[in-house]
Amino acid sequence: MTAKAFLLKDKVAIIAGDSKFWAKPIAAALAAAGADVAILAKQSPKLTQAVEAVRKTGRKAIAIPTDVTSPAQVQKSVSQVIGEYGRIDILVNAADIQFFSPFLEIKDTDWQKAMDYNLNSVVNFCRAAGRQMLVQKKGRIINLVSALSERGIVNGTAYCVAAGGVAQLTRALALEWALNGITVNAIGTGWFAEVGKPTDELITKYIPAKRYGKPEEVGSLVVYLAADATEFTTGQLMYADGGLMSHA
Amino acid sequence: MTDEKGTLDGKVAIITGGGTGLGKSMALLLAAEGADIVVAARRVPPLEEVVAEVRKLGRRALAIPTDCTDPAQVNQMVDRTLTEMGKIDVLINNAGLVRGARAKPMWEISDAEWREGIDVNLSSAFYCTRAVSKYFVERKSGKVINVSSGEGFRGVRDNYMYCCAKGGVVQLTRTLAVSWSPFNIQVNCIVPGFVDTFDYQPPEYQKVLEQYRMSRSTRLFLPVGHTGKPDDIGFIALFLCSDAADYITGGFFAADGGGLAGGFATTGYAPSNTLKEALA
Repeated sequence: MTAKAFLLKDKVAIIAGDSKFWAKPIAAALAAAGADVAILAKQSPKLTQAVEAVRKTGRKAIAIPTDVTSPAQVQKSVSQVIGEYGRIDILVNAADIQFFSPFLEIKDTDWQKAMDYNLNSVVNFCRAAGRQMLVQKKGRIINLVSALSERGIVNGTAYCVAAGGVAQLTRALALEWALNGITVNAIGTGWFAEVGKPTDELITKYIPAKRYGKPEEVGSLVVYLAADATEFTTGQLMYADGGLMSHA
Repeated sequence: MTDEKGTLDGKVAIITGGGTGLGKSMALLLAAEGADIVVAARRVPPLEEVVAEVRKLGRRALAIPTDCTDPAQVNQMVDRTLTEMGKIDVLINNAGLVRGARAKPMWEISDAEWREGIDVNLSSAFYCTRAVSKYFVERKSGKVINVSSGEGFRGVRDNYMYCCAKGGVVQLTRTLAVSWSPFNIQVNCIVPGFVDTFDYQPPEYQKVLEQYRMSRSTRLFLPVGHTGKPDDIGFIALFLCSDAADYITGGFFAADGGGLAGGFATTGYAPSNTLKEALA
């Protein structure tokens, strides 16, 4: 349930970049708070499921299959959303391909791909949606990144660099658009798994909360950052991580 | 009043420093979502005003005059809350003194001033949290919300007690989060930037604030170009004490107009050159 102060009644949200894991719980959370949503990501059965789940709540939902690494396609899809809904209040960047490999074994093309999906796609969406938000003089950009934006991990060079890039994009863009009514914040996620999916026992022990997060536990933070009530918060990276970032 | 359920229906929240400014905003926003409120602070008249406003919202409210730097008074405050309200779900350690005495060179700071500054902004949070600690751990649930400051993360010239105490609150948050995660207790920290609580301040401090409002450093720490309102902070508390934040612990939630995202150059400083120029 969403507190009244955080309701998003009739706002328009784009969820960008991820059709596999985050699109459905985030779309559900935004819709439950009253927003209409558009999901722009690679075609997948989960994309259709996410849209259907939102429509059942009575809110509008569309899916626009998009190659998020292509600036031209992203611009086209975002324009389509504006055509359909008339505005964009919220952009949630959720692109996430989990690529981990020993540093010296990473091919140039793989490195490029990791950057294209996890970092450049965010740039593409911030540009396309940001243009509209600047006209509206209002907007909320929420970048979903891993806590690996601020921490290192073995075999994670490409993933960490891209996530760190998103964190820095968040800070710098927040300052650049601070006077334009647009806030740019990021959510750093810890270990998450869908209910019933396998989890790692050692990792579970390592997490201070002693459990993986449930995808909807990020949805509530997305709604909070999308609300009008958070207009004074910008350039921040906050975590939904079961205490992971307090770990020594 | 509507019949609509709030997200905090039936919860009991203690808010220290709850009579004015940020604490007052928290009290009213939490009450609007259904929480019963205990406000604890030194000055009584503001507490009574908040209690009256909370009751108008249809919630139970209790004012307990408390000096949060005195462990005995803090323990009594928590005992009385349990007796009169039956339970505690949320503790918000908001009591503190934003600046108090004017900043001065280190050699002019007396032992008493140092202790007072640390007591009021750090030890008070420790005492209050300690007072609920066994209770929270035994019932295996609870939320603690600390209030630090942008100055808990960055240095400010000649501002020793405030910066050190608020930095201590940051580490108190992390230590509590790690220690109490197994007991389903979430501990998070609100990080206010420059929030203007002018209207709540006594006249002599309003004079200090007026100068502060005019000062260059204030404007330079505010990328959004304006100061914050108490509700900017109150809403964070509302989010953090609801079950929407059940997987969030050890977190820092800033409302600072973008201040902490910067710090490498003055606000608004915008370098620009082309790749051609860079390679020339």
